Amino acid sequence: MAQPPQLLTLQRHRELDGLYTTGIVARRIGYLLLGVVAILGLLDVFGQRPSTDTVDASAARLELYAPSHLRGGLLFMARFRITAHEDMKKATLVLAPGWAESMTINTIEPAPTDETSDNGRLALTLGPIDAGDSFLLFMQFQVNPTNVGRRSQDVELRDGGTHIATIQRTVTVFP
Amino acid sequence: MDLVLRATFMFAFIYALTRLIGRRELSSLEPFDLILLIVLGDAIQQGLTQDDYSVTGAVLVIGTLALLQVFTSFLSFKMPRLRPVLEGEPVIVVEDGKPIDKNLRRERLTVEEIAAQARLQQIESLDEIKWAVLETSGQLSFIKKGGGG
Repeated sequence: MAQPPQLLTLQRHRELDGLYTTGIVARRIGYLLLGVVAILGLLDVFGQRPSTDTVDASAARLELYAPSHLRGGLLFMARFRITAHEDMKKATLVLAPGWAESMTINTIEPAPTDETSDNGRLALTLGPIDAGDSFLLFMQFQVNPTNVGRRSQDVELRDGGTHIATIQRTVTVFP
Repeated sequence: MDLVLRATFMFAFIYALTRLIGRRELSSLEPFDLILLIVLGDAIQQGLTQDDYSVTGAVLVIGTLALLQVFTSFLSFKMPRLRPVLEGEPVIVVEDGKPIDKNLRRERLTVEEIAAQARLQQIESLDEIKWAVLETSGQLSFIKKGGGG
């Protein structure tokens, strides 16, 4: 039998002794992991498909359409719809700090009549809404690349100082 | 700090990925292999530096990748037991003119691909080959019959 090239052995490099099964098993595990990650991506585990959260109170209905899973650098939109069941004199959205922490707020349309801090939260005063009318607020964001982790993005709807409804949600940001 | 961590993670991921997809894709430029290589480069850059256009950022990323490359080479050099994991091992795919089917299957190589590589080395027929070895770089080396050994 011919001798293999120098430093190669028939047992190791032709028969792949100890390598054949191990190599195939390691590869299949790797392929499986890649497949699992791809499927999780399809299932929106890593964002950024938006979903709708709704809370209905006697005075008004608050609807939020925004993604709950994001990745660094992504541009995304949050749409708030307030439908008044009763006249609201001073509709105000109070946002948890997670809406602004390591997020770039590109624009808020229409611009609130007043913006202030409410015990560390962002309070956006929108103005009066007549019973039966809807108020639509768009906020455009970009996730800062260094923003990673889970943050509260609760949204409270108030009429002046009166609490009307709260949507409780968290956002998860992947690196 | 973020850039160094990103560069380290991406280096480890791409290292594992290239070991996983197999060596033939690394050296060949068939259409699908070419697509993979081009898209990989673009996707990695965006994940690494994102909106950082600074020279400092580029120096951090390139420096980290270079250090990791030196580190893995050092590990491979100093610890022979790690070499099969880090670099793989050469695989004999043709012996005395006969393709070794088991090894071809493992490396997803066809006899036609070996014949094509052989023609590039002015080898007309597999019968002329004493040994064909798929090297860790993904290239095929041929030793012709009557070439000694």
